[in-house]
Amino acid sequence: MSRPNESTVLFDALGPKGRRNSNIASVVSAVVLLGLLALAGVQLAAEGFFEQSRWANPLDILVVQTTWVPAILDTLLAFALGSVLALLLGVIIGFGRISQFAPTRWLSAGYVQFFRAVPLVLLIWITFTIDGRFGFTTDVLGWSNDARRLTFLVLGLGIYNGAILAEILRAGVAALPPGQAMAGYAIGLRHGQVQRLVVLPQVVRNMLPAVLAQLVILLKDTSLGYVITYPELLHSASIVGRDYGNSFLQALVIAAFIYFVLAYVLSKLVVVAERRLRKKTAAPLARVQQVEAAAVTD
Amino acid sequence: MFENFDLMADALLKGMWTTVWVTLASYTIALVIGVVLVVMHVSPALPARWAANAYTQLFRNVPLLAVLIIMFFGLPQIGIKAENWVWALLGLGMYTGAFVGETMRSGINSIPLGQAEAARSIGLTFSQSLGTVIMPQAIRAVIPPLGSLLIALVKNSALVLAIGVAELTARARRLIEDPESKFDLWGVIIGVTVSYLLIALVLSYLVRLAEKRAAFVR
Repeated sequence: MSRPNESTVLFDALGPKGRRNSNIASVVSAVVLLGLLALAGVQLAAEGFFEQSRWANPLDILVVQTTWVPAILDTLLAFALGSVLALLLGVIIGFGRISQFAPTRWLSAGYVQFFRAVPLVLLIWITFTIDGRFGFTTDVLGWSNDARRLTFLVLGLGIYNGAILAEILRAGVAALPPGQAMAGYAIGLRHGQVQRLVVLPQVVRNMLPAVLAQLVILLKDTSLGYVITYPELLHSASIVGRDYGNSFLQALVIAAFIYFVLAYVLSKLVVVAERRLRKKTAAPLARVQQVEAAAVTD
Repeated sequence: MFENFDLMADALLKGMWTTVWVTLASYTIALVIGVVLVVMHVSPALPARWAANAYTQLFRNVPLLAVLIIMFFGLPQIGIKAENWVWALLGLGMYTGAFVGETMRSGINSIPLGQAEAARSIGLTFSQSLGTVIMPQAIRAVIPPLGSLLIALVKNSALVLAIGVAELTARARRLIEDPESKFDLWGVIIGVTVSYLLIALVLSYLVRLAEKRAAFVR
């Protein structure tokens, strides 16, 4: 972020005249923004958005206990299981892509290319739909409906994000100076040993911020459980909204706020992890910035 | 495996068309929002920077599906109504705009300070140094990440099925849930996947063209 009174790419340090102009601009933009906010507030108030009952109903203690708390727990459960599956698949596929055995490389590359191209919602919904179509159904397992839905949500989240984590790991391996692996071979380690003892620890350390950033996205993607009516936050919110007919928007806004808090806290943890990692040593990276940029987009 | 192939191909082509235009239209909105956010971010006015920051944080931390559902199902309650495709474009555009803004900002920040200082020290004005020194370099730096945002938007656009826009995934869903089950499950799955792969391939080819056109002649 550019700060005033400091040379940046765009501005020299401001002189007295520039400071005055920038102060004027500050006041003007503050007035404009506050005006817009006030306008929106008046409009919302006129439509009864702030009416007390509309907020009190969905936030009733009974609703909180029976719906919001379980919804948050179900969201976090899907997030936790999805993350574990994604990390497992990511490591397996990521190292499959740099395997010495060509077919393993091809299979892993195919996996990544395929699952990166398909929308996650399609994946979750297809796995949910094909259940019971090929002579096998999860019904025989005697699971509850929610457990079934959780399974397919977690499968979708894990398979899809596994492909992206594999790409992050591979990029991390590519960015590691080749001397690291060569030094490993030079002291007589085998390929597997080099990967396990020299490459993986450093890649994990270097790529942890990018991996965690992807997990924040995975957390947001648990909202896709809505499509297969898994009782996570978004779906629960729409049910609460339906129960209290004129609190529909309020219930959704509450859900959005909870998502915001969860994702914000998690992304702050990413920043903390980044800072702590910088103190530890790993071989300096060649191309980290691009890797992180790539990770944020998917 | 591909029973009623012509019917399936017809439905998937229609879906592809919807997906493509929803993607391109909302990406245009996202680019406009991104530019506005960048201008606010680098402006000397502190409140403008706060507002841009708040917008970015909001859309980076709330799921896209929640944004779409709030817009389409929630806003009519306070008297704001529009067709579902309007919300699809706005929701996708506003959400992606936050990411476009961040990408462009990191593009400007990636330019070494010395470039701007050199431009100013040979006497270029603000607009000259911006237009002839900084932007040409920044644009080249951001084309690849903006391209991957576009590809990600193709996949994100599938979420508008939740507000009833008949894009590719929604069409495939209808085929599979066909009451007379005229279509083979695997046929539809392969068809829809190939369609998405095709869109992604064509778009990433276009992005690569843009990269080449913008590249320096060395």
